[in-house]
Amino acid sequence: MERGYYWKRIVRSVISILLVISIVFVLVYSLVPRERIFNSDDTLVKLGGKPDEKLQYQMRTWQRLGYIDYENMSSYCSTLYEAGTDEIAACNLSGAKEEKDFVEKYESLGYDITYLPLSKSPIASKDRPIAKRIVEWFIQLIHIDSPNYVDEEMFPDVERKIYFGKTPTGGLAIKCSGCEYKYLAYTDTSFPFIHQNWISLYLGQSYPTFDSLQVLNVISDSQGQEKRVDTVFEDGHVETSSYKMTACKWKNSLDKLDKNKFQDNYANCTTIKKDPSMMGISFIMGIIALVLAYGIGLPVGLLMARSKSGLADKLGMLYIIFIISVPSLAYIYFFKYLGSTFFHLPTAFPTYGVSDIRSWVLPCVSLALPSIASLMLWTRRYMVDQMNSDYVKFAKAKGLNQSEIYKKHIFRNAIIPIAQGIPSSLAGCITGAIITESVYSVGGMGKMLPDAINSYNNAMIIALAFLYTTISIIGVFLGDIIITWIDPRISLANKEEGR
Amino acid sequence: MEEKKIILSAKDIEVKFRVRDNYLNAIRGVSLDLYDGETFAIVGESGSGKSVFTKTFTGMLESNGKVTNGSVMYDGKDLTKLESDKDWEGIRGAKIATIFQDPMTSLNPIRTIGSQITEVIIKHQKVSAEEAKKQAVDIMDRVGIIDAAKRFDEYPFQYSGGMRQRIVIAIALSCRPEILICDEPTTALDVTIQAQIIDLIKDLQKELKFTTVYITHDLGVVANVADRVGVMYGGQIIEIGTVEEIFYEPAHPYTWALLSSLPQLGVKGQELNYITGTPPSLYNVIKGDAFAPRNKYALKIDFEEEPPFFKISDTHYAKTWLLDPRAPKVEKPEAIRNLHEKISAMTSKGGAYYVEQ
Repeated sequence: MERGYYWKRIVRSVISILLVISIVFVLVYSLVPRERIFNSDDTLVKLGGKPDEKLQYQMRTWQRLGYIDYENMSSYCSTLYEAGTDEIAACNLSGAKEEKDFVEKYESLGYDITYLPLSKSPIASKDRPIAKRIVEWFIQLIHIDSPNYVDEEMFPDVERKIYFGKTPTGGLAIKCSGCEYKYLAYTDTSFPFIHQNWISLYLGQSYPTFDSLQVLNVISDSQGQEKRVDTVFEDGHVETSSYKMTACKWKNSLDKLDKNKFQDNYANCTTIKKDPSMMGISFIMGIIALVLAYGIGLPVGLLMARSKSGLADKLGMLYIIFIISVPSLAYIYFFKYLGSTFFHLPTAFPTYGVSDIRSWVLPCVSLALPSIASLMLWTRRYMVDQMNSDYVKFAKAKGLNQSEIYKKHIFRNAIIPIAQGIPSSLAGCITGAIITESVYSVGGMGKMLPDAINSYNNAMIIALAFLYTTISIIGVFLGDIIITWIDPRISLANKEEGR
Repeated sequence: MEEKKIILSAKDIEVKFRVRDNYLNAIRGVSLDLYDGETFAIVGESGSGKSVFTKTFTGMLESNGKVTNGSVMYDGKDLTKLESDKDWEGIRGAKIATIFQDPMTSLNPIRTIGSQITEVIIKHQKVSAEEAKKQAVDIMDRVGIIDAAKRFDEYPFQYSGGMRQRIVIAIALSCRPEILICDEPTTALDVTIQAQIIDLIKDLQKELKFTTVYITHDLGVVANVADRVGVMYGGQIIEIGTVEEIFYEPAHPYTWALLSSLPQLGVKGQELNYITGTPPSLYNVIKGDAFAPRNKYALKIDFEEEPPFFKISDTHYAKTWLLDPRAPKVEKPEAIRNLHEKISAMTSKGGAYYVEQ
C-alpha cells in the first residue's frame, strides 16, 4: 500500500521535473534571440573583419549548442572524395560544380540555403525543433559508461572488459578496459569512501562562460591553484603531481609526456585543486549556517515560549523584529562591520582562503542570522500553540510537573512542522546564497544563476533549473517521510486508501 | 440522616482573574463540604463559575487567576496555599483527578494510549514500566476497552470519541483517586455514548468508592447520577440540597427558572421557557442578589442587600429573600409543579434519559 504511494510520488516528481525543464527550455531557447549568446565572445570580435569565417563560426557554435543542424561545402566534399586528393581541393573552391548538388540535396532535406557574403559558397542550416531538443537533453542526461566507449575503428586491439582490481593507492576498484573511465568504482580514504565514475549526469556544455567545460564540472570541480602532492602512478612510481589517478579518462592521442607517465591511453586525468567546488563551498557554508540556525534558533525559541511575555521573550522578539524589518543587506554590512572592527575577522573570503577558519566566520554568521530569527519565531509559535492545547491541560491535571509536560507533551508535538522543513533547508544549501556570497566575495553557487542569465549561458541556466527543481522535490519528499516517523497520524498513502 | 465523613471542605472561596488591568470576580465566596463517596453535581449556566470553583481543588487556575480568600481543606492541608508542582505532587492527579469536556483533544495525538496511561501510574505509584503496563491494561479493561492489551500501543486517532473518553476516565482513575472531578464529561459526546459514559462512571464509583463532582448544565445527567446538587449563579452557590430537594422542592427563583427551561418539559405548541436577560458582569461589584435583574419574583430588597442562606431542611439551603418570613408567599411556576412525575417519565424505560441499570 505504501510502496504504491512512493512510486506514484516518484512518477509525479519526474513529471514535474520534465515540465519545469520544458518550460525553461522554451523560455531560453525560443524567447532569447540566439545572436545574444555571442555578446561576450571574444573570438567573434576577432573575426569581425572576416564575414565568411564569422558566419561559419556562428553556425558551428549554434550547431555545437544544438540550435541548428548545419552543413557546408567542406564537409560535403569530404563525403564525396578521399582526403588529400585534387578533386577535394577543387570541390572546396567556391563556384565548384558540386555546389549545385549540395544545394539540391539539402533543399530537398528541408534546410535553408544561404551563401557566404564574400565567397558566395552555399551553406545549409535547419532549426532543430525544441521538443526534439528537450527529448535529447533527457536521453543524454544519464550517462552510463561502458566498454564500448573507445572507438572500435581507431583502437581495434583494445580489450573490452570490466574487472575487479586495485587502485594505485591500494583501494578496491571495479576497473574497465574500453570504457571512458578506467576506474568505474573504487574505495579510498576520503569521504564518502566509496566513489564511482560509472554513472554520470550530462547537463550540457557551458558557453560562452567556462567554454569547453561541461556545466556540471564547472560547479562541481575543485577550484583555485593546483594541489601538487606525491602521487602513486599506475606503474607504482611516485611523482609530485596534481593528477587524480582514479579520475583518468581515455585519451585518443598521447603525447610524449603522457607516454612517460602512463602505460595505457587513460591519460586524460582531472587535476586536483586546492579549493572546494562552487557547490562544495556553498554547501559547507550552508551546513554551518544551518547548524548555527537550529542550534541557536530552536533552544531560544523554546526559552521564549517558556517565558512567554517575560524578559527572554521580549529580547527575542526584539531580535526577530530587527531581522525582519531591516533589509538583509543592511544587517549583513552591520555585522560585517562589527566582526571586522571588534574581532578582526576578514571581510573578504579570499583574504585567508578556504583553509582558514576565520574566513568562514562572518559569511556563515550572516547567513545564519535570518534563519535563526525565523526558527525562533516558528518554534515559539508552535510551542505556545501546544501549551494551550487541551491535552497539556489534561497532562497537568494528571499530576505531571512542568518539565515532564514540556518533555513528553509539548516539545515533540511542536517540533513536527519544523522537522518537516529540515531536509529542504539541508538540500537548499547547495543552491548558495546570493547576497552573502557577493558581500564576502565567496566563490560559491549563489552568483551562478544570475551570472548565467547575464552572459546568456543557456546550458547553465537549464542545468541549474534542473538541479534546483530536483533538489527541492527531493527535499519536500524527505520532509514528508520524516514527519511520518514523528507523527503517527500521518501516513503516506494514496488518497483512496488514506484515512 | 447518618453522620457522613467530610472529605473536602471549601470555605468562603473567592477567585479573581486579572484581565488587562481589570479584575474579574469569578467566584464570590463559595463554601462547600464534600462527603466521602457521594456524587455532587454543580449546575449552572456558562460563566457561573462551576469550572473555576473546582479548579481551586487541583490548583489548575489559569496563570492570571488567583484565590484571594478562603481555604480548601483536604487531608489536613489547605490546597489554596499550595503553589509549586512539588507541593501538588501526590494530590493533583493522584488523590484528586479531573476529566475534561473534550475527549477528542484531551489526549496527546502523537503518543500511544498506553504511554499516556502508564506515565501517570509510574509518576504517582513509582512502579516499574512493566508493572505500570499491567495496571494500565487492567484499568483499560475496566473502562470497557475490548482487547485492551492489543489496543495499548494504538494512538488516539485510532479510537472513537467514546473510547477516548473511556481512556481519559481510565487515566484519571488509574491511581485510585479519592475525588474525581468530571468537568462536563459528556458534553462533546453524542447522546447514545453520553449514557454509556455516565453509566461507566457510576459503576466505577460503586466499585472504587471515590467521591465524584459533576460539573454540568445537563439537568438530565444531574437527575440521573447526583446525590446532592449545588446550583451556581454569578460566582456563588445559590441553592444546595439533595437531588430530590432541588428537583421537587426548589426554593430559589433561579433554580425554578433553570428547571422550567428544560426543553423536555416543553408542551407541544407552546413556546419553550427560557431565562430572559444575561448573566451579570463579574467585573462589577454586584449589589444585592445577582439574579435579581432577571428575576420576575424579585423583591425590592433583592436589589439592595445580598440574601443570606436560609435553611429549608438539614440538607437544603437557598440564598433568596423569598424564604425570609417577612417575604410574600410566592408559588413556583406551573411548569415545574409536578416535576416528579415528569422526571420519572423521562428516566424510566422509554424516556430520553433512561439508563440500563
